[in-house]
Amino acid sequence: MTRADAAVTLSAISRVYGRGNAAVRAVDNVTLEFARGAWTAVMGPSGSGKSTLLHCAAGLERVDSGRVLLGDTDLTAARDRELTALRRTRIGFVFQSFNLIGSMTAAQNVALPLRLAGHRPSAGLVRDTLAAVGLADRAKHRPRELSGGQQQRVAIARAMITKPDVLFADEPTGALDSSAAAVVLDLLRTMASGGQSIVMVSHDPVAASRADAVVFLRDGRVVDRVAGADALEIAGRLASLA
Amino acid sequence: MIALFAGSLLSVTLGVALVQSSLLLLITAATLDPPAGLGAAERMEFSDNVTAAVAMLGVILGIATFLAGFIISSTFAFTVAQRRRDFALLRLVGAGRGQVRMRLLREAVVLGGLGAAIGVPAGLVVMAAQAALMRRMGFVPAGFAGEWRPWILAVSFGTGIALSLAGAMVAAHRAARVLPLEALRETGAAARVMTATRWIAGLIFLGGALALIIVAPVGGPGGGAAMAMNVPMPAAIAAAALSPLIVPLLGRLLPTGSGVIGALARANLWDARRRSASVAAPLIVLVGLVVGTAAAGASFTDAGIGELQRQTRADLVVTATGPVGPAIAAVPGVASASTELSVPATVDVGDESFSVSALVVDPAAYARAHSVELAGLRGHAVAAGPGGEVPAKGSVRLALPDLDLGAVPVVASVPATISGGANLLLPPGLVPDRLLAAAPAQSFVTLAPGASAGTVRAALARIGTVATAGDWLRADATARSEVNNKIMVSVMGIGALYALIGVVNSIVIGAAARRREFAAARVGGLTRSQVLRAALVESSAVTVAGILLGGLAAAGALIAAARTTSAVTGTTTVTMPWTLIGAVCAVALLVTGTTSLITSWSATRPAPILLLAARE
Repeated sequence: MTRADAAVTLSAISRVYGRGNAAVRAVDNVTLEFARGAWTAVMGPSGSGKSTLLHCAAGLERVDSGRVLLGDTDLTAARDRELTALRRTRIGFVFQSFNLIGSMTAAQNVALPLRLAGHRPSAGLVRDTLAAVGLADRAKHRPRELSGGQQQRVAIARAMITKPDVLFADEPTGALDSSAAAVVLDLLRTMASGGQSIVMVSHDPVAASRADAVVFLRDGRVVDRVAGADALEIAGRLASLA
Repeated sequence: MIALFAGSLLSVTLGVALVQSSLLLLITAATLDPPAGLGAAERMEFSDNVTAAVAMLGVILGIATFLAGFIISSTFAFTVAQRRRDFALLRLVGAGRGQVRMRLLREAVVLGGLGAAIGVPAGLVVMAAQAALMRRMGFVPAGFAGEWRPWILAVSFGTGIALSLAGAMVAAHRAARVLPLEALRETGAAARVMTATRWIAGLIFLGGALALIIVAPVGGPGGGAAMAMNVPMPAAIAAAALSPLIVPLLGRLLPTGSGVIGALARANLWDARRRSASVAAPLIVLVGLVVGTAAAGASFTDAGIGELQRQTRADLVVTATGPVGPAIAAVPGVASASTELSVPATVDVGDESFSVSALVVDPAAYARAHSVELAGLRGHAVAAGPGGEVPAKGSVRLALPDLDLGAVPVVASVPATISGGANLLLPPGLVPDRLLAAAPAQSFVTLAPGASAGTVRAALARIGTVATAGDWLRADATARSEVNNKIMVSVMGIGALYALIGVVNSIVIGAAARRREFAAARVGGLTRSQVLRAALVESSAVTVAGILLGGLAAAGALIAAARTTSAVTGTTTVTMPWTLIGAVCAVALLVTGTTSLITSWSATRPAPILLLAARE
């Protein structure tokens, strides 16, 4: 894979928490490329460092050593102002706990990133974006009036309205029941097939089986990878790590 | 969210109301015209009283502004801390630091404007209450009422917005530095509570308080008392700023019980240092200000009483009207009598003109009766009296009601005392008899050896009201203490109420964010009543910590008072107003306890599982 094919490139990154004897290498010298236009799942047992890896890749957390590239942009050298601009334009986030703003309607939540960037998104664009996640009729609802699955789809719409280079998803189905999770996974699959780069952390083999490739982490290192595997095989490999 | 907004709004509204009311009363008093038909002497007395009322209202305005600034900024800081996760979320979806800061400052302007809009009418209610209090205490004439001025609208809106903006400034700066990652941590990273700002503010104000304590004894009776009374403000700010260090430590020491409830309360105290500090802050100011000022005031009053008792040498005191000196001296059995006639006067020193109280005395008799030296006071000359304020040498321009005496040399002085008294002593013959005919006269009478007190009293009773020196001193002491208490109530009363509301405000804001925490505790096996008891123990522990820290601030004032009374009178005087201290502690515990029970009761009403399941 050449540099141009990689949505995100991690070169020898490490992230250490604590000092001295108490130091924990949450991410230990990981070199990894996430392919452009593909959906990559990162899996591993609890404490394997998969969330930290995602945070570092998305520029939310500083790495202690190594380099993180978003396309050709070096995130390790970026200042807060540049990272903020990147979050508005080239990076989208979806999280387990939805993280919508409770006082705003679905439409307002979706429009928020563009408004923060100083644009006034048209009502049509917001409506279309919500329609793309199947929530055209929920625009005026506040998060507490929506089911978990619906809230997560609003969060996906919010992430997608900026047409980001990469969508980072941290356990996007972790708080959902299986039918709501299936809807969200279908949505992500459609987006990835349309050329959207997605990096997803999950410990659910069913979710990971929808991705194009799966990377396995243990103790902060990449220990295995697989492409096109089904949920059963993924579950087997995951079990062998624990 | 609504509780946060309402809490901030309430703090601004009441702050604006209090400042506006104090300012309007001050302006009304300062522009008060004496009623028509008063004589020259009465006009001087009237303007004297107005000067005193204006000075007191100036202090009230100062305290109101201090409290408003303190409570608004601490409420804002707390609400911003509670919304940390929201700000992190905004940062996560692309908000820049400047945007977060601007958003908070915009909110502050809206809150300030809205607070002023409600605060202006509320201020009229507060003004009616404050004026009624001052009338009742006798510091203003019976018909006194604050007057509305149209320009106060601009001032109140300006005050509201300026105080909110100032209060939000530090908080906004902090919020802008929230990391986006904090939105992802389930419990929210316990943000550092002891920030650099807190350290710097705490140490600067601690230094200020220490400086006042050190300098107070050098300030003489007037200046020293003023400095001692001002110690509680910087001391309370310092204690409040440093409270996140101390409150949890005190919480550990407090006997909160050994069971699971005590353990939970202790853990909460440690974990929620920010919340504990926010509840404690207005309490510290309340206790520090009320107890500190009252204790210092009582100490100075008692020092004055003691000083007067030590210095007064007399057997009987006669209160009469006019130049009764010769008549008293003529009574058989009277060895000597210092008859002192009180006349109002105006003094010009440099460019400054102020009204003073002057006593026409017999210098030799006065010196004997009050244990002072007063040589050389005769003819066209004056002496600086125990009330101070007049220079002890040089000359002053002296005007009596309807008589300008021109420049008069100051030829002698007696030491200024804590109990105060006349600013000027005048020799006989300087003031024409027509001005003395109606002057209040006080005579300190010493009996000749062997004279019968009863007989002399009976003879003196024909001249005026007679009391033994002991009775007179006791009555004087009671009157002084009463005046001191009245001043304290007038100056502190409504401000204390505001600070108490600030405490309640913090508890309500804090409880609003605790529904999930309470729910988690209940799912973990605690009954609802156990959760309520833990919350009560926790709030009581914070209250006790706040009272102790406020007591520390108050102790600063008391130390300054002790050092000053010792320097001025030679006797260290410390008076603890135990009744007031007890009342303040009881009210604080009762109010925080009740509020915390009510808020946690209402926060635990829904079934816990509903709260834990609902995520936004």
